Amino acid sequence: MIKTYASRFWSLLKSFQVTIVMLALLMCLVLLCTLAQVEMGTAGAVNAYMRSFIVWGDFSLVPFRVPIFPGGALVGLILACNLMAKTLDMKRTWAKAGMWLVHLGLIILFAGEFVAGMMQVDTNLSIEVGQTVNYVSSYKTMELALVDVTDPAYDDVHSIPESLLSKNRPIPVPGTPVTLSVKKFFPNAELANLPAGQTSLATAGVGPGVQVVERPTATADGEVNQVSAFVEVLAGGRSLGVWLVSNALGAPQGFVHEGRAYTLSMRLLRQYLPYAFTLKQFRHDVYPGTDIPKNFSSLVQVVNPSRKESREVLIFMNQPLRYEGKTFYQASFGKNDTLSVLSVVENPGWLLPYVSCVLVSLGLLVHFTIVLRRSLKRRQEKLEG
Amino acid sequence: MQKPNQSPICSGPSARGPLLLAGTVLLLGALGCQRDGVSHYRVPKEAAPPAPVAQVPGTMPPQAGQGAPTPQFAGSPLKWTLPTGWSETPGEGMRFATFKTPLQGRVEATVVVLPGPAGGELANVNRWRGQISLPPLDEAALAKARATLKTRAGVVNVYDFTSEGKAQSRMVAGYISAPDGNTWFLKLTGDAAPVAKGKPDFMRILESLRLD
Repeated sequence: MIKTYASRFWSLLKSFQVTIVMLALLMCLVLLCTLAQVEMGTAGAVNAYMRSFIVWGDFSLVPFRVPIFPGGALVGLILACNLMAKTLDMKRTWAKAGMWLVHLGLIILFAGEFVAGMMQVDTNLSIEVGQTVNYVSSYKTMELALVDVTDPAYDDVHSIPESLLSKNRPIPVPGTPVTLSVKKFFPNAELANLPAGQTSLATAGVGPGVQVVERPTATADGEVNQVSAFVEVLAGGRSLGVWLVSNALGAPQGFVHEGRAYTLSMRLLRQYLPYAFTLKQFRHDVYPGTDIPKNFSSLVQVVNPSRKESREVLIFMNQPLRYEGKTFYQASFGKNDTLSVLSVVENPGWLLPYVSCVLVSLGLLVHFTIVLRRSLKRRQEKLEG
Repeated sequence: MQKPNQSPICSGPSARGPLLLAGTVLLLGALGCQRDGVSHYRVPKEAAPPAPVAQVPGTMPPQAGQGAPTPQFAGSPLKWTLPTGWSETPGEGMRFATFKTPLQGRVEATVVVLPGPAGGELANVNRWRGQISLPPLDEAALAKARATLKTRAGVVNVYDFTSEGKAQSRMVAGYISAPDGNTWFLKLTGDAAPVAKGKPDFMRILESLRLD
């Protein structure tokens, strides 16, 4: 019985009909995703339609989110399974060697997109002339940084990601006596003067005088949410107060517990690096007599103690630096040309599309050679016979 | 008619296909699983953090700081006069305004307004000191570091801090409580050399503070 169902499922999985249906769904997804970019921005639409397993919809009549369409990840997964099943079902003969290579190349292409979708990390590195930076920052995702600044030379940074704060539950911070209790979390909020007669949840820092008004989350490209939260700091079995933390507040707030000084701040999520960049020079060249940019370049000193390395690198447009699994592109600038912003991409599967292209090309070449050889052989036989 | 050459490359039980497929799917699923947790890093103290810039990669967008939205604390009673060569753009978030200076190098002049006492003078001064990697002060040291300036808007407390190390950062800041209950911070920050050059003009801005 189970064997029959498994056999049917296997037949369905490797069927050409599934390929056609999935390709049709992909076409619909491309259209829907393109239209959704007007409201959600490029990154928001790609995440909602192409990199999710289910496309969810919000309807005012229903109190929960409703699945409305299979997401790109699900369609891609089924298509990849279909392709793999079809490949495994092919005759394992030398005559099919070319087709095997082509199918293998396509499977690797699918795998590459999955790896990129699930593991690619896009960050940026903002650095001012003369400054040394050893971290990259997220474009949109925030973190609550609890930093022990007591040591005069080093900071102990404890990073609590935004996704953990949104769960509204106590967060013990390992390595410290501190537990953070999130009283209220706002994915996006506007801060203003607290009107007279109103009270705030905050009891310490700048929060008691600030009104927090929840806003819909920003989805457009280049827009950043003002992520805010009321966080109670608990240590040694007592409350040290409730702080308002928000990336709109700028500089961190602080408190002292058992002789150790801590700062609290909501900021863009950082990933610290085992090496550091110092910006020695930023150039913004224009064509003579115009404001049209000709060249943007950053001369950086890369210092990596683990490799005993210290060298200068010039990063300019279309000439990124590939270093320790990350690619640093010249992306933006500011502050009267004293600030350079490098876009940083980390994709463990960046090589897969190239491997795929080579395999598909090789496969097609092998296949055409086999077919040509077969055809010539038939022709020869016809002439002889 | 002769059949094309079909010698097998490999052979094996056909049940391997579904198993191999299931294994691949599970591997892809495992790659997608991410757990949230508190991360810890021990890092050297940073000198002076740059202003965060949010841009979409792939293009060279306009200069950071342009096109900022309207400030939240509009209609303020505090006014000032800018020296020649200085201009003003509206800020964003809690920042009321940003001054564009004629100074060369890494330097920034800003006006921040916070409601009420904003956590107190000591806490705020220590926040600024933290921004240029200086240790916090106590009340006695704060009083020692404070200089006062009489203006038509009231007394402005002025602080001037310079960080230690090879690349020195400096911050000149004015702190005033306005009659509407808000606390105003006017700050000139950046590399020590351009800040020193811009300090006389910045002090003229502080001296020009008045109530509307």
